[in-house]
Amino acid sequence: MLAQIASGIGLTVVITGASLLIGALLGLPLVAARRSAWVPLRTLATAYIDIVRAIPPITWLFLIYFGLPQYALRLDSVSASIIGFSVIASAYMAETYRSGLLSIPQGQWEAATALGMKFLPRTRYVITPQAFKVTLPAIAAYAIALLKDSALASTIGVHEITYQAGLVSRATHQGLLAFSIAGLLYIAMSIPLALAARRVDRVLRQKLEVA
Amino acid sequence: MIFLDQWISWLPALSPGLGVSLSLTGLCLLFGMPLGLLLALMLEGPVKPLRVVALVVVEVGRGAPALVLLYLLYFGLPEGGVTLSAFATGVISLSWTTGAYASELFRSGLAAVPAGQREAAITSGLRGWSGFRYIILPQAIRISTPPLASLGVTIFQTSSLAFVIAVPELMSKAYALGSITFEYLSVFALTSVLYGSITLVALAFVRLAEQRLSRHL
Amino acid sequence: MELATERTASPPTVGGVKVLGLHKSYGKHAVLHDVNLDMAEGEVVSIIGPSGAGKSTFLRCLNYLEVPTAGTVTIGDTTVDAATRRPDRASLDRLRRVTGMVFQNFNLFPHLTVLENITLPQMKVLGRSREEANAVADSLLNRVGLAAKSDQHPARLSGGQQQRIAIARALALSPKVMLFDEPTSALDPELGLEVLAVMRNLADEGMTMIVVTHEMHFARDVSDRVMVMADGRVLELGPSEQVMTAPTHERTKKFLRAVLDR
Repeated sequence: MLAQIASGIGLTVVITGASLLIGALLGLPLVAARRSAWVPLRTLATAYIDIVRAIPPITWLFLIYFGLPQYALRLDSVSASIIGFSVIASAYMAETYRSGLLSIPQGQWEAATALGMKFLPRTRYVITPQAFKVTLPAIAAYAIALLKDSALASTIGVHEITYQAGLVSRATHQGLLAFSIAGLLYIAMSIPLALAARRVDRVLRQKLEVA
Repeated sequence: MIFLDQWISWLPALSPGLGVSLSLTGLCLLFGMPLGLLLALMLEGPVKPLRVVALVVVEVGRGAPALVLLYLLYFGLPEGGVTLSAFATGVISLSWTTGAYASELFRSGLAAVPAGQREAAITSGLRGWSGFRYIILPQAIRISTPPLASLGVTIFQTSSLAFVIAVPELMSKAYALGSITFEYLSVFALTSVLYGSITLVALAFVRLAEQRLSRHL
Repeated sequence: MELATERTASPPTVGGVKVLGLHKSYGKHAVLHDVNLDMAEGEVVSIIGPSGAGKSTFLRCLNYLEVPTAGTVTIGDTTVDAATRRPDRASLDRLRRVTGMVFQNFNLFPHLTVLENITLPQMKVLGRSREEANAVADSLLNRVGLAAKSDQHPARLSGGQQQRIAIARALALSPKVMLFDEPTSALDPELGLEVLAVMRNLADEGMTMIVVTHEMHFARDVSDRVMVMADGRVLELGPSEQVMTAPTHERTKKFLRAVLDR
């Protein structure tokens, strides 16, 4: 039983990993837009972020998987899941980046500007390293949340952990055992992530202690 | 806009579902929040066996996806000889999830009460449980209220999962409507609007209440 | 207190600072009103006055960290007119190239070592090679007496040390004018003295400096001229000894009395 349920791990990891990566990348232009001085762009970005986060993930998945085929965009369940979770992840990542940027003192921008550094070198060498250190723990926490959300992909037929547990449950009528195993698998998978995050956080905190 | 007429015509079909979603959420918060407080107290308390029990309940409640917990209870309870309605199972499962997350928020709240308060309580003669009950706890709850309110809004979103164990809430009504009309995109778009607008309004209220509360702190 | 050795400021040359008719308002609220300043190369001007007088705002208009509502700023041969709605990037860059700024809160880059704080801007703004940048950094660190700390991170240093590093960082880009925004206000008096000593040396070497400060001794002894500001206006502008001991405005007298008779 464990073997069959565990066979879903691959897809769970793929969906979580791909969505996290795409979301992390999309979050960058999104947070730039969110902080833009140009009001229409800022409003659009803020609306996107707030609205995406206000809709339950399962509704998003169903919207993409069942709704899009009407317009001839039939996606397989894995792609639909990745697209759905990427969109959601991009909104959460943008907010995470935003918190990180807000925590950097205004003086850093001013010092860099006064020294004559322009946007790209300033962002790359002064702002991003500091933002990165602050947001890494939050990103790790979101990664764990995304791992759990990936279970929703089972509802649109992705053969990941929860789906496999469902199959086993229906076949053997041992749902309690099957889903307990599934639950423990998720918990087990989140432990290394949490530990790694805590260690990285501690190391970065030492280096970055402000007097 | 054609779809607005469509949407309006669908509302009567969807509203019972929304009602179920809201009552599901309400009950989960009603049971889950006190559960969270209880778990937090057990975790912070002096009795070791209680701490262990609470730890397991919280770690599983937070570590396992809410969906898996739903399935677990839905299939597991009957196997253990307990037969409950899908709705009741949903309430129990989501209350577990709620309580697990809430307990962490309560613990943060407790930790956030300034250390001086404990000392002030002791020196005022309020030691042990009295000091805790009248000085520390009320402040902890006040501090935790905004994040708890946000959690409440999140639970409303999570209630959408009860769909998978045949609770007749909004998602299930929406899916049924979609299967009949084949207008899946439009139906789920409307569903998104319903969830989204209630969520956004609720969050706005939370932010407002937070501003009002912080005036007194 | 004996007078500092008189430095002969060179007659107004191309390398000076000239500010004409500087205004700044936030909506209807005016914070700077018709501020003018004409400085020669090598001059040291201190700006003093009560809080909220607009001293820092004025200073920050000089390198366009704040955008003035009206007026022109000329540093060396670069002029920026506030009338041009959106001053072109090139002028702003030149302005920042010729000025160096030292902040009240130091604003060192916490994730870089002391050496990197000084070499990074050189490499990225001036395009110097790492060897060149290191050489300049080493010489400056020696000058401010902190060569031993070059591999440390700013958080490990005292406020006075951090501020001296900040001065070195600004000097590394060879600015024509150094702008100091209350450089010692965030420091204990003892630590402030180290910084003031560095600033004094800088002045003696002939750097053009504009210093917003509450350090009255520095204003009187090291500056050539003192500008007194209140409510966004210039009350006095004249030789430091004269302004500090025999001011003309009643307001200035009141301010100096409060500050000097402690």
